Amino acid sequence: MPTRTNEAWITDLASPGPAREIALEELRAVIQKGLPYALSRWLSPDEPQFNSLVEEVTQETLLRVLDQLNTFEGRSQFTTWVHKIAVRIALTELRRKRWRDSSLDELTENEDVPPPPGLLADLQAGPETSAERADMLARVRRIIDEELTERQRQALILLGVQDMPMEDAARKLKTNRNALYKLLHDARLRLKRRLSIEDITPNEVLTLFEQK
Amino acid sequence: MNIRDLIQRIKNSFTHHEDYPNEAVLGFLRVLEKLREEEASCSEVYTQIDEYVEREVDKKDAAQLMPLIREHLDMCPDCCEEYEALLDVLEKTGQD
Repeated sequence: MPTRTNEAWITDLASPGPAREIALEELRAVIQKGLPYALSRWLSPDEPQFNSLVEEVTQETLLRVLDQLNTFEGRSQFTTWVHKIAVRIALTELRRKRWRDSSLDELTENEDVPPPPGLLADLQAGPETSAERADMLARVRRIIDEELTERQRQALILLGVQDMPMEDAARKLKTNRNALYKLLHDARLRLKRRLSIEDITPNEVLTLFEQK
Repeated sequence: MNIRDLIQRIKNSFTHHEDYPNEAVLGFLRVLEKLREEEASCSEVYTQIDEYVEREVDKKDAAQLMPLIREHLDMCPDCCEEYEALLDVLEKTGQD
């Protein structure tokens, strides 16, 4: 595959014409060479939706690259920047699907599912440790209740309890991923400061739950 | 404590929320352990992640050169997934 400099990519893609068409074809090949690796932790090439996802992501990436060409700052190889865009598009779609599927699973799963490991540890703990844990969790819950704004609580529940993807949680809260992360960061800072005032360290609580 | 915080705390003391399962509370605490005051935002990370991953592939100790990016990746699962996927692409295609 021919290699181009960053400048050559930009020049050829900047204006319509045969040079752009050739560059777009080359870029399509670059994206499609990288995508199977980007998707490897999510989807096997044998799965029926693999090819259509690769095609959709490639199309969308090419459109976005043309749209955002003037934002490329030359911090990396142009093709790395393009792969980054393809990864964002692909993973946003896959996360949405994963979350939809897991929500459906929760609706249909039976009640015999074993409790998560932390709760199993609690069942195995002695009565004294168990009481200590319950007391500590009650303190932390009270702190969460007292410290966080309603919006921060909603964000924690969507992301930390319901495992909703950031993009979807942001949309639900009528904000964007960036602002949501900031909201969450501020919430965590508030919790950390308050825990510190109450002389509790996160590590202390976690250690309590690791004991048998 | 400022007035806004005080009002918030009084307001919250009238409501009790039972929305957090034990595992979620422990999950919050695990994240707090690694929390720093200063942090890059998701969009700052997105802007720089291609440069970060190239440095990592080139063995240029990206985490030391761009510590805020590394810290954000440790805190934000969505950005971390995107970082890992981009790293896979660059390593496996031999690009860079």
